[in-house]
Amino acid sequence: MSLFEICQWIQDTSIGTSIRESTYVFPLVEATHVIGLAISVGTITIVDLRLVGAVMKKEPVTDVIEQLQPWTLSGFAAMFISGILLFWSEAARLYPSYSYRTKFVFLFLLGVNALYFHSKTYKSVHQWNNDAITPFGARMAGWIGITFWAVVIFMGRWTAYNLK
Amino acid sequence: MTLLELFRWFDATPISVVIRNSTYIFPVVEVFHLFGLTLLLGTVTVIDLRMLGVGMKRQSVAEVAGQLGPWTMGAALLTIVSGILLFLSEAMKCYSNAAFPYKMWFLLGALLVYFLIQRRITSPGSKVGPFALKTVAILSLCLWYGVALAGRAIAFV
Repeated sequence: MSLFEICQWIQDTSIGTSIRESTYVFPLVEATHVIGLAISVGTITIVDLRLVGAVMKKEPVTDVIEQLQPWTLSGFAAMFISGILLFWSEAARLYPSYSYRTKFVFLFLLGVNALYFHSKTYKSVHQWNNDAITPFGARMAGWIGITFWAVVIFMGRWTAYNLK
Repeated sequence: MTLLELFRWFDATPISVVIRNSTYIFPVVEVFHLFGLTLLLGTVTVIDLRMLGVGMKRQSVAEVAGQLGPWTMGAALLTIVSGILLFLSEAMKCYSNAAFPYKMWFLLGALLVYFLIQRRITSPGSKVGPFALKTVAILSLCLWYGVALAGRAIAFV
């Protein structure tokens, strides 16, 4: 079974078909995806902007990260679940889309960026917690976060125009 | 001039025609609308959560609102300018769209609450109590998310 056939099978399941053909479920799931995006990527961007020294420079980095994290994760959960439902309903249509594939490459890279930041750079945070200008590694993590999330949003929105 | 004539005029401006005749301008402008929305809703939500007393409690209301406020306004500017371009390119579609007027009323309300009330009561030295802060925060959240939901609904109604 090829990947495309698997996607076709996912899209043809009763849940996939119900979401796709429903008057209200599809728009509501899409609305949830946008709101989840605003809350998760919005708060992530505030953290990234702190790391690059653009916002909340007077506040300790740990204050910004720790206090926003629950909201980032809640927004991400809403975005992740609604994203799975959207994929479920259109898997075979999304499979050939290059913008959709690119979106996931960048999501993966963002995951690596976050993992590297939290497991390496962030370990020494107590040494630069109150600095307006954070170390090179932290600034890089911030810039990568800002630009790659912009690419993800661009590719996600582009996918809607790319569909045949 | 009736509203219909006004919208017809918007629909016929050179900018509208250029955007309509291009394959790429509309999606690119829409992406910038989405960038703006993400930062606008993100920062507004954090300010509102602080006013509600459920987020960023280690900082004061004035510290959170004062430092994120400029980003909210910058993002609002980006969202509104890109929104005007999107509107111009399909003014007649907006005229007959049931969700569009709701979005505009929510937007007007959200901007009025932000500039006339919220900025004032979150400034340093404000003596407004927690009840008023919470009420305004809930109003702000309802209005801004109303804008987003009604905006998303334009594509479906």
